[in-house]
Amino acid sequence: MSAAIEPRPILDARTAHAPRRSRIGTYALWQLRDYFKDRGLPTVIIAVLFGYLSLMPLLAASGVTHAKLNSAFEGDRAMALTELAQVTSAFIHGFLGTLVFLAALFAMNGIVANDRKLGFYRFLFAKPVSPMRYYGQAFFVHWAGFLGVITLLGLLYQLTLGPVLTWPLLLVVSTTFFCYAAIAFLLSAAARWDWLSLVAVSVAATFLWGMYGRSTHPAAKLLYLLPPLHRTDELYRYVAGVDLTATSAPLFPSTLLLWFAGYGAASFVLGLVVLRFRRLAIV
Amino acid sequence: MIVSAGAGRTTPAPESSLPLSSRASSVIAFDRVGKRYRSLTGREVRALDELTLELRVGEVVGLAGPNGAGKSTLIALLMGFLAPTEGTVRIGGLDPRRFIERHGIGYLSELVNIPPAWRVVEALRRYALLAGVPAASRDARVDELITQLGLEEHRGKRVRQLSKGNLQRLGLAQALLHDEHVLVLDEPTHGLDPVWTQRFRDVVNALRRDDRLILIASHNLDELARLADRVVILDRGRLQRIVDIRSDAAPRSGDATPYRIALARGEEYLASLFPTAHAVGHGEFQVDDATLESINERLAQLIARGALVSAVYPVHTALEQQFRDAVGATEDQR
Repeated sequence: MSAAIEPRPILDARTAHAPRRSRIGTYALWQLRDYFKDRGLPTVIIAVLFGYLSLMPLLAASGVTHAKLNSAFEGDRAMALTELAQVTSAFIHGFLGTLVFLAALFAMNGIVANDRKLGFYRFLFAKPVSPMRYYGQAFFVHWAGFLGVITLLGLLYQLTLGPVLTWPLLLVVSTTFFCYAAIAFLLSAAARWDWLSLVAVSVAATFLWGMYGRSTHPAAKLLYLLPPLHRTDELYRYVAGVDLTATSAPLFPSTLLLWFAGYGAASFVLGLVVLRFRRLAIV
Repeated sequence: MIVSAGAGRTTPAPESSLPLSSRASSVIAFDRVGKRYRSLTGREVRALDELTLELRVGEVVGLAGPNGAGKSTLIALLMGFLAPTEGTVRIGGLDPRRFIERHGIGYLSELVNIPPAWRVVEALRRYALLAGVPAASRDARVDELITQLGLEEHRGKRVRQLSKGNLQRLGLAQALLHDEHVLVLDEPTHGLDPVWTQRFRDVVNALRRDDRLILIASHNLDELARLADRVVILDRGRLQRIVDIRSDAAPRSGDATPYRIALARGEEYLASLFPTAHAVGHGEFQVDDATLESINERLAQLIARGALVSAVYPVHTALEQQFRDAVGATEDQR
């Protein structure tokens, strides 16, 4: 035992070895598999069930049937298509918000916190891998996985009823998901009860923005620290109202979308900072 | 007949191919490290206190201490899973997380936490990717460890289906995936049967290398005495003693210590030669204050009279005695 210890270079000149690269990039395939198996599949099941229950009353009320859609008479078919477009629009407006929120909750729930709670971090981070890189990658993999799920659901709708996937819709869904997911990521990195925290943050942000959003009091500026979740409906309304066959639309709410993207990016970076400085063991 | 203290190294380290100077270089350094926790009620708990310790490349170091001594905290600090409240921890001159993120450490934790839905072979393939095992040798390395640790028949099983012993072997396998320079094994034989405990010792002895440091935390002092070069004894968060197995834990002439003698024949001669001997059951007798010289001398007389001795062993190994002294000293202070 020695009292004074001088820091020395790595091991010894004879035993020194260059930093080793873990195959973390290849590990993304495992993370994607985990997403589809543990999170994507439940998302699809919930979306199909919930979507079916939301869609059926709308279709019944509109009177759109496969027979009308495939009618030999041009006029009947045109009318059925118009009615279907209205059904799709109402469906998207009512369904998308819930789907994106639940999908983000499923995708990010416990992404960091579970490994910490259950002790899985011990073997993972004895390897030459940084938590920032590992969980940062997992975040993007889950985001990509969610886009796959949304595309699959859109194709399912398209196969059974009609076109629904548009670039504006994908962009809006992708951005709002990113915002929710990044907040969940930050909460998971910082807290144990991340799903509960996400619900609490969402409810609190919507409520406070609704209550004080129009206030001119200087303290109301503090609301900008909260996510702009009170305006998600504007985005979904816009997407629901666009021409389904168009690839772009006028008056695209780009500023609002940037706000969502910026808030998401800030939350994600903050999550990485927490991972960089917060120790993994739970005392 | 062999009178064994049971505390010496059973397998010598392989001959060093490097000069002695490199064997003496520091790999892990704890410098005045303290770790305090605050309980929910605000009470401060000192898990480690003023710990200064240097571990060198080329050695196997044991870490012993009673429950709550600070072993787990020391390992969590070493792995960078916790930050010290005072002092510094360095591995190869770097902050532990920085070292691990650059080089990795072979680590077996006391609790083997692997996602229960993973299959054995899948778990090892995943960890091999993260450990940076090259693609060309990855599957072969996984198969090699599965065979070496007797997991062939379990390779397709999910982790949740494994017994405690098999899970422990899987934990050990993932720690050995890459050719690490630092190995930290926390209670490595916990849950292993006697056969695998012995095999584990063989594995560790095979891992001894001049450019590798192996740290083994264990409650099993006999295991540490067989494997380690030095044993660090902690108690109440403080370093109590460092026992050099070769010099400090070998039986020393002149030291009186209790021995047990098992006789197959000739019990009637025992009382005259060992007046303090008393029966302890199963045909064994305990002599409380014998030295190495006195017990050998009297045993020779006992055998000459026609007794048949089946076993002689110290009640406490030399390391156990050191441990009792070190921990007992802090007990006295309490």
